[in-house]
Amino acid sequence: MNPSGFDREWQLGELLDSAQLSRLGAALASLLGGDCAIADGNGQPLLGHIAPTARRQAIALELEPVAILHSASADDRQLAAAGELLHAVLRAQVRFRMASALHLEAIAEDFESLKREHAHLLESEARYRKLAAELDARVKAQVAQLEERQQMLYEAEKLASVGQLAAGMAHEINNPLGFVRSNLASFQRYLTQFAALRGRLSADLAAWQELDLDFLVEDGGDLLRESDQGLERIARIVGDLKAFSNVDRASEAFTDPNDCIRQAAAVIEAQLPAGISLQLDLLPLPSIVCLPGHLKQALFNILRNAMQAITDSGQPGTIKVSSEATVSGLYIRIHDTGIGMRPEQIEHAFEPFYTTRPVGHGVGLGLSTARSIILAHSGTVSLSSQPDAGTTVTMTFPAPP
Amino acid sequence: MPELDDKRLSFKLVYYGPAQSGKTTNLLRLHDLLAPELKGEVMTMETQDDRTLFFDLLPLGFRAPSGLLIKCRLFTVPGQVAHDGTRKAVLSRADGVAFIADNQRNQETNNAESFRSLTENCARVGIDIEHLPLLVQFNKCDLPTAVPEAEIRSRWGSTPWPLQFASALNGLGVRESFATLLALLYRRQNAEYALAEQHGLSEAAFVAGLLGQA
Repeated sequence: MNPSGFDREWQLGELLDSAQLSRLGAALASLLGGDCAIADGNGQPLLGHIAPTARRQAIALELEPVAILHSASADDRQLAAAGELLHAVLRAQVRFRMASALHLEAIAEDFESLKREHAHLLESEARYRKLAAELDARVKAQVAQLEERQQMLYEAEKLASVGQLAAGMAHEINNPLGFVRSNLASFQRYLTQFAALRGRLSADLAAWQELDLDFLVEDGGDLLRESDQGLERIARIVGDLKAFSNVDRASEAFTDPNDCIRQAAAVIEAQLPAGISLQLDLLPLPSIVCLPGHLKQALFNILRNAMQAITDSGQPGTIKVSSEATVSGLYIRIHDTGIGMRPEQIEHAFEPFYTTRPVGHGVGLGLSTARSIILAHSGTVSLSSQPDAGTTVTMTFPAPP
Repeated sequence: MPELDDKRLSFKLVYYGPAQSGKTTNLLRLHDLLAPELKGEVMTMETQDDRTLFFDLLPLGFRAPSGLLIKCRLFTVPGQVAHDGTRKAVLSRADGVAFIADNQRNQETNNAESFRSLTENCARVGIDIEHLPLLVQFNKCDLPTAVPEAEIRSRWGSTPWPLQFASALNGLGVRESFATLLALLYRRQNAEYALAEQHGLSEAAFVAGLLGQA
């Protein structure tokens, strides 16, 4: 039940307040010849005194009487007419009351609806704000990634141009190298023949000895051997340069990177001096499309660096190779317990021709070659190291789609 | 909800539906067609261009054998979309609903929209539509543009609500619709108010009392 609802059955007391009722009662009394009393639907008198002899006229708005008009002075006709008047007044009143009560309820409902909609709007505004913030963050992240990629691309370009230069140089050097080596070999034979001359000069060695040709033949041979070694070294450097610049393109293959690790490890294991051990800790990896030869070269270069770092420390040590596949990609780590690197060394470690070794013991192409190979496989390589505590090189490759 | 004191039991029935589907016409015809013991005038609150702004009210009543006065107050809601707050207020405390649909093909969207608003508003004013006595009347069946009854039945047949076809302007199906709704109302309220046990009212007597066939 709702006593305040517009649809309640209105009582006389609600429809007319006492001031309205007394004014109306006075007017009706005049019409009715002096006596007028009004009671509500339950017979409760609200105005005037009901005389025992009074005639009564019930007034209904819906089904049941809402008011009862009493008069002792009026006749039936007068009472009926006055009843009609009162009915008209009450009917107008009830329409007004119901309409205004309904209006208030409707306004309250509309207000509730507005509040609900307002809450929805606030909610969706918050959602959009959050979305905007997320989008902003994503745009920033993408921009950062783009910048990083651009930087990497720039570095790769730089390396590529160095590589092109190196490839050109290697090609140019190879030709003279070939004929110089060939000439030296011929000259070696000539020298042997020249030495044979001494046997023929059994009697008169004065001129031979005077010219100190014994020393000349001996030292000439040494010089030629040394030169040959030098040339061989040059040839090796040129070979490295060619590999660095990817002159010898290999064909792509669908390969398990762990196989590349094992093969590179097998090569380096044969070269390990006493006191250095190699440990493989490989978890299953998915196969990727790669240049296996190049990848092996990169791994070999890093393994060789690890070996040299341990040798340099003058202590026994271990090279640990581990691999794993995660949702973010494939990881290969090569850790050594060697001499480690200082921050400024780390900074330049990947630059071509940067080396900490004495001239003649390394050209400084190992890591930069490794890096350009890894970049060519859409991978990354990073290096963490502490002096005297060892070095870890971490390679990542994108997971196959 | 019904209002009960020791002498009277009052029900509120609401004629709901899209704008100009014939809710007020239903009420006016009922006033003409019914002859219960007690019948009030149709109170039309406020109209604008002949369209209901607030509501119409038709009170009907009869006395049960026990002496209890059974009252039934029929309200219409304003159908126009803009008056949703008023519609919700009129729907509040309803004991039964007659949904008056305009059975012309081009009004199908309006019917669906209005029915959706009925279910939503029921939820908002705390009426459980699952258990609400609800009748669906397809009005204006006399018009040439009316959707055929067979099509309506095949589409609405699976719903739990009784269907009635009417032409309110001609007074056809109006009384039958009301009688059907009264039967639903009786079945819903009989147990709670002991209409049969204490007041000697069978379903037929209840319906007949309000229709005026007693």
